[in-house]
Amino acid sequence: MSSWSRIRSWVRATIRRPEMEQEMDTELQFHMEAYATDLVRSGVPHEEAMRCSRLEFGGVERTKEECRGARGVGFIETFLQDLKYGARTLRKSPGFTIIAALTLALGIGANTAIFSLVDGILLRPLPYSNPEQLVSVKGTYPKGGFVAMREHMHTMDVAAYSEDHEFNLTGYGEAVRLPGTLVSAEMFSMLGARPELGQTFYPGEDGAGQDNFVVLSHALWQQHFAGDRAIIGRVIELEGVGRQVVGVMPADFRFPSARTALWVPLHNDARNTAAYWAGDFMPVIGRLHAGTKLEQARAEIKMFQSRVTKMFPWPMPAKWNADVSVVPLRDGMVADVRGRLLILLGAVVLVLLIACANVANLTLSRATTREKEIAIRSALGAGRKRIATQLLTESILLAGFGGVLGLVFAKGGLWLLKATLPTDMPRLMDVRLDWRVLVFTAGLAILTGFFFGLAPALQSSRVAPVESLKSAGRGAAISVSQRLRSTLVVAEVAFAVMLVLSAGLLIRSFWAISHTNPGFKSEHLLTARIAPNESFCEEAGRCLAFYRSVVNQAQASPGFAGAALVNTLPLGGRITKRNVDLEEHIAAPGENAPLFWLDVVTPNYFRVMGISALAGREFKDADEAGSTVAVVTASTARRYWPGENAIGKHMRLLKEKEWRTVVGVIPDVRAFDIQTSEPEWIEGTVYVPYNSSATLEDGRVPAEMTIAVRTNLDAAQVESTLRRIVSGLNQEVPISEMKTMEKVVSEAVATPASTTSLFATFASLALVLGMIGIYGVLAFLVSKRTREIGIRVALGARRQDLLWLVMREGAKFSFAGIALGLAGALVVTRLLASELYGVSPMDAATYFSVTGAMAAVTLLACYVPTRRAMRVDPLTALRED
Amino acid sequence: MGNKPVDVLQGTLDMLILKAVSLGPLHGYGVLLRIQQISKDRLEIQQGSLYPALYRLQHQGWIASEWGESENKRKAKYYRLTAAGKRKLLNETEKWNRMADVIAGILSTKREEV
Repeated sequence: MSSWSRIRSWVRATIRRPEMEQEMDTELQFHMEAYATDLVRSGVPHEEAMRCSRLEFGGVERTKEECRGARGVGFIETFLQDLKYGARTLRKSPGFTIIAALTLALGIGANTAIFSLVDGILLRPLPYSNPEQLVSVKGTYPKGGFVAMREHMHTMDVAAYSEDHEFNLTGYGEAVRLPGTLVSAEMFSMLGARPELGQTFYPGEDGAGQDNFVVLSHALWQQHFAGDRAIIGRVIELEGVGRQVVGVMPADFRFPSARTALWVPLHNDARNTAAYWAGDFMPVIGRLHAGTKLEQARAEIKMFQSRVTKMFPWPMPAKWNADVSVVPLRDGMVADVRGRLLILLGAVVLVLLIACANVANLTLSRATTREKEIAIRSALGAGRKRIATQLLTESILLAGFGGVLGLVFAKGGLWLLKATLPTDMPRLMDVRLDWRVLVFTAGLAILTGFFFGLAPALQSSRVAPVESLKSAGRGAAISVSQRLRSTLVVAEVAFAVMLVLSAGLLIRSFWAISHTNPGFKSEHLLTARIAPNESFCEEAGRCLAFYRSVVNQAQASPGFAGAALVNTLPLGGRITKRNVDLEEHIAAPGENAPLFWLDVVTPNYFRVMGISALAGREFKDADEAGSTVAVVTASTARRYWPGENAIGKHMRLLKEKEWRTVVGVIPDVRAFDIQTSEPEWIEGTVYVPYNSSATLEDGRVPAEMTIAVRTNLDAAQVESTLRRIVSGLNQEVPISEMKTMEKVVSEAVATPASTTSLFATFASLALVLGMIGIYGVLAFLVSKRTREIGIRVALGARRQDLLWLVMREGAKFSFAGIALGLAGALVVTRLLASELYGVSPMDAATYFSVTGAMAAVTLLACYVPTRRAMRVDPLTALRED
Repeated sequence: MGNKPVDVLQGTLDMLILKAVSLGPLHGYGVLLRIQQISKDRLEIQQGSLYPALYRLQHQGWIASEWGESENKRKAKYYRLTAAGKRKLLNETEKWNRMADVIAGILSTKREEV
């Protein structure tokens, strides 16, 4: 009852505010008049009675204020009033408002943009049904291992997939090469993904002989089949094999990544032992059965792992999948980018803190000039709390403007981010500004307003009215406020140092990366992938003849200085692995022969790529006819024949009849990524000439080759020439991935490039804000001390003295900030270690140069205020106020 | 010291107001007058402080208000006790009496009684 009446009175008071105000006036008026009437009746003269009545009643405004408070509407009332008042104050000083709002908008905008990434990639649930049940198995399994898992696991359903396959689509216009993913039959149903059209795969449709089906992506369906609904049931030719289209997935289905254009069932064939147990090692995902805990699945997969190892037709190394586990699918998908995103988030939070400190400083200097206004309000009966609340409301209002403007910046920023970040970043496509991000931004704005508004608000509410009103704007509060401002500026500089230092390290690291010698000459080099169907190369002769013609015609083309083929282009993202026997290193029975990276090349490959032999020779045209020769990289030669000459040693690909003679050693090529030539599980690299004995694990010669052309012609000319040559030889062979080698290299460094450029952006923001901060504080200081400076000048102070006077203050902030920042950076940059290449997080050169640069920049910020101080005219200064 | 008015004890103003309006509806000024009258002018109430108290009591639902006409035909706001207010007043009176007994007991304690 009581609480009900309270709510009613509260609602009434809020809705009928003007009426209530009016009634309150009437009531108080009545009281004073009634009292005065009584006084008159008792003989007091009328004038005197009126005065007396007002006096004895006490402060009317104060009473009203207390009444409003008592009615429980004080807070809304106050808030609305403060908001209105705040808006008016902000409008009155547009310069301050614009600068502060812009500063905040930069901070909030950057944070919103990065948060939308973090949210879209790390936080948001996966877009599948009951995503909390979805898990990813840490470890990869061949088909046989996966099929065994599917039969044995009781805690979850599992599905396997293999990305990065390519399929030639022929018979629909020009032949095209499409990226596709092999999936086990239950993949779609397990994810709970429904097709936009038709069906997905039924259980069992991944067994050999029952697997001639394909599911298309929405994009492929639109681009190549014009969105024709009659496509369902039709048979299309993929890699020379007819597959029936059973379904089309909706546009927002992007598993495992947005690259996938089509899904084809795994081809599980237990009779093909090599493919079944040694082919693709695939990632496996699963869906926990209802009520099953992650721990149970973990325990079961460990048991399964020990069982599956014994199922292989040959002994498996003990370390294979030794750390097998089960993790939530989302964590598994984004594990690689989590660290980097969090680092970026940390960086923008620093930017926001700097922005906050800056605006707090601006507000503080304004508060000092507003001291009189506040003193008057306080003298009129406003309590400390009331004044602080009002100032805080003003700050939050300001942050609100900043937030709205920040959203605009965020929208642009997100667009830029999507353009800058490497396209293979998982879930990047899902990132957008939606209500979750809006809530974040709103919360951030309010928090920001609170953050930068609190100190000035508390500061100002401490103003002593009498003191302040008497001494024209030079109240006692200044010294306290000055200390606060100094602290803020020092913090600002410290944060900026940390950011600039991180950016400096990343830039140095990126410089190192982009100036590494990859081992080949990427200028004037164009590459394109040529890929006949797998079956085309079943007959090695046909395949070799086709490629020989391609190379011969390309070599003869005008403007082509040289053309060569390679199965795995350096930094092209592919590896061909092959076990080899090496002289003096024959694996004992039961042991595995060393696993090498096999490069199959045409004889002039090294010349075209600009790689020259360190010892021995490169391949000759004669090697193509079938000489049993090989070339190894320097690190391979060192590893297997240390201190010896590798030339003349013998080796062979596993199951090869004849031994090959090592005829040359070439320098290591950065082939795996820009930092390493091989992944760690590869034990060497060998080059063999492209002929019928250059076989892959499946016993065939490589079908897919990349052509590298050294030329001064532009890409379009080369592309059309190559297309003409290839289609002249075989209509069904597509050309894809047409790129300059420089582009291939730049894609390989896309990740560090994007991190570095983002950090550089944040650091420059921080630097500019930090400079403004120091400038602001010093300028304020000088303007407050004009009188003092005037006296000094009048007493004969020299220009140097004044210079020293101001610069000393500036240098104090600058050096304290830099020292603190360096200390902080020692800790912070350690988090960066994973992103750094070729430079230590403690790199002395970077620390020195950043320190120097920061000192210079901060002192530069002192320049204008110092000049102003030096120009002070004693007469004017003393006449001030 | 006997006749000099004393300030209202903190927290007791609410009780006095409830008591005053329990004797019949009053406007704000009337409340003031009635308290002075029944206390025989021994209590001093800051006039302005009356209104926040009235608003607070009304907000809590212990008194209700309506507009009426004063003795000299002026529009005035009259306060009356609600049912909840009646219970509250009884409660408070009870509590006050007990408290007053205890305090009086303590203050009148003599040395030999300890």
